Amino acid sequence: MKNKASVVIVGGGITGVAIAYELIKRGVKDIIVLEKNTLSSGATGRCGAGVRQQWGTEMNLKLSIGSVKRFETLQEELEYPHDIEFSQTGYFMPAYTEKQVEQFKKNITLQRKFGLHVEWLEPSDCRKVVPIIDLKGLMAATYYDKDGHLNPFHTTQAYAMACRRKGVDIELFTELIGIKTEHDSIKAAITSKGVIECDSIVNAAGGWSQIVGNMAGVSIPTYSERHQILITEPIEPLFRPMVMSFYHNFYTQQEPNGAIIMGIGDPNEPKEINVDSTYLFLQKMASVVTTVLPPLKHARVVRQWAGMYNMSPDKTPIIGKTQIKGFYLACGFSGHGFMISPMTSTLIAQMMTNEPLAIPEIETKLDLGRFERGELFVEPSVV
Amino acid sequence: MRIDCDVLIIGGGPAGLCAARSLLGTGLNVLILERDPFLGGQLLKQTHMFFGSKEQYAGTRGFEIGQILTREVQASPNVTVMLETVASGYYPEENFILALEKEKKLYQIYFKKVIVATGASEKSLLFEGNDLPGIYGAGAVQTLMNMYGVMPGQDIIMIGSGNIGLIVSYQLLQAGVKVKAILEAAPTVGGYFVHAAKVRRMGIPIFTQTTVKRALGQNALEAVEIVNLDSKWQYVAGTERKWSCDTLCLAVGLSPMSELLWQFQCEMRYVSELGGYVAKRNAIMQTTHPDVYIAGDVSGVEEASSAMLEGTIAGFAAAKALHKMLDSVDQVIQNSQKFLDEMHRGPIGEKIRNGLAKVEVDVCL
Repeated sequence: MKNKASVVIVGGGITGVAIAYELIKRGVKDIIVLEKNTLSSGATGRCGAGVRQQWGTEMNLKLSIGSVKRFETLQEELEYPHDIEFSQTGYFMPAYTEKQVEQFKKNITLQRKFGLHVEWLEPSDCRKVVPIIDLKGLMAATYYDKDGHLNPFHTTQAYAMACRRKGVDIELFTELIGIKTEHDSIKAAITSKGVIECDSIVNAAGGWSQIVGNMAGVSIPTYSERHQILITEPIEPLFRPMVMSFYHNFYTQQEPNGAIIMGIGDPNEPKEINVDSTYLFLQKMASVVTTVLPPLKHARVVRQWAGMYNMSPDKTPIIGKTQIKGFYLACGFSGHGFMISPMTSTLIAQMMTNEPLAIPEIETKLDLGRFERGELFVEPSVV
Repeated sequence: MRIDCDVLIIGGGPAGLCAARSLLGTGLNVLILERDPFLGGQLLKQTHMFFGSKEQYAGTRGFEIGQILTREVQASPNVTVMLETVASGYYPEENFILALEKEKKLYQIYFKKVIVATGASEKSLLFEGNDLPGIYGAGAVQTLMNMYGVMPGQDIIMIGSGNIGLIVSYQLLQAGVKVKAILEAAPTVGGYFVHAAKVRRMGIPIFTQTTVKRALGQNALEAVEIVNLDSKWQYVAGTERKWSCDTLCLAVGLSPMSELLWQFQCEMRYVSELGGYVAKRNAIMQTTHPDVYIAGDVSGVEEASSAMLEGTIAGFAAAKALHKMLDSVDQVIQNSQKFLDEMHRGPIGEKIRNGLAKVEVDVCL
């Protein structure tokens, strides 16, 4: 491993490798990515892999619309020899309360302003999009056919292969154990395999971002929260879009091979690093999903696993600089890091190379300082 | 539904049955989970007579040993058997095994000690066309022939000259199937000399440094393309030849089914001599998780005789840990350990000895 670099990126998930790619594309040399395990072994490889643009704020709309545009051509751009499996099968978001109906109406107005042709569905229309949905309690739904999903393993590999071709060093099984600063500037990354002198460090450590922040003396108010997922055996095609219910706090989608993937949030989840599976999840997931989509009761569960959301206090990413010169943050994605990784990486790279930012207002809206200033970002449309 | 037991045994093959037998008369509440509709595991497919000593049923055929053990265990009032029941996972936070009976009923099984005797699964080989009908694992061929009386094909080529490849070839001959050849990728025959000599005498050729490159056929296997291998296991160009056959049997080894042990967060190690990932254990078959014991192929792929001894040891060790022991428990455990050591002695046991040296830990946990 080299002992000098211009930039050290901490984390070999989608965000870390995408940032490395955007930097080297802009001519930055001597980039090292540190990954303590294998690529996409953290939240990236464990996520539900959905990509949605139906958000309720301008910021999240810009992040997600920009990312989807990149996903559409990413495979060609990265010259990846395999399929990253990007498919736009849509997101279907049912509303079950008056409050949700009102919120969705506001959202759709904003979304259409951004050029998204999101459809408003009355209950009688819903089965045209999700034929197996139970209509009980359903008041309305929104549906956007350009939302979709892609394969997180392939996408990470695609970025990583492009990075390596261009000369990025990706050091696997190499853990960051300390950060050396002098006069509030980054001096070196101390790893399990030696010290790397460097000017900049990017914290893309996902579930471990708070620990990495502490190494540089930067207190990041993120925390890790376990989210569990399961997948069934492949069955005949039943529905195409991701079905995401804020009311039930779950999402589910049928994968291209017929398997159905699903997850449900647990409000009692403790703030800790934990990727064990529980029976409680299996039970709760099964009972809720079969209420909304009854035919799924016949599908057999093949596997369940867990990953960590890196939560920020306002459930919105932290993208930006810190009081330590050369220490950048790309963390706190709160469950949405994968779907906006093309924009996150572009913004961080623009920031580090002093280019104008694609979304200039992130500097004051997504920075770490917002928590001290008390300017929390409020997104109404999160699970 | 919730079930509570003292000792949970996962797998009703030779290891699990012998573990249960060790627990007879202890008064402990023992539960065996078995995936198949019957107990006995791989013993039921074994028509050959066992070697060794009287204690290890020398001279008795495998399926008969399975029947004897099954009768003993089923007659015991403190052992419950759940058939067609899969142990589908261990949940660490809730600390139970989730079991699915007949694909219908879920049980949460709480236990004080668990003996994992899940056995092994067959390895396959990567080659073009390896999913054509007519290509079987050796275990599947044995199941068809020896349990259901179904002939797997007429004209067969065997891949692998380990004991399973040799014994199954012989059984196929006995069943009237033409065994064209046994192919072995290594430079020497893998199994016991006595088995190899027997199939050679019956006229089956064994080709070493030879393997299958492609399987050919429209809707089912019609022929295979075979090829020679050099000392670095690479194809020797120009040696490809096509042999017709309707069945290809892969006897290329087994992998321990250690998924549950991973879920128990036992310390695991990859040991090629033992077939794959196995848990570290001490002399009484206890893993690094103090409540988890292992026995049989899951602890390292060997044969039924060693599985039975390991099961016996694990059963007594679990009884001892729960303070339900015979006065002579240490003596009984030592006896089984002695038999096991004897089995591993000599040049034939060398590979297993080497493998075990990598996972045996001295400390009594």
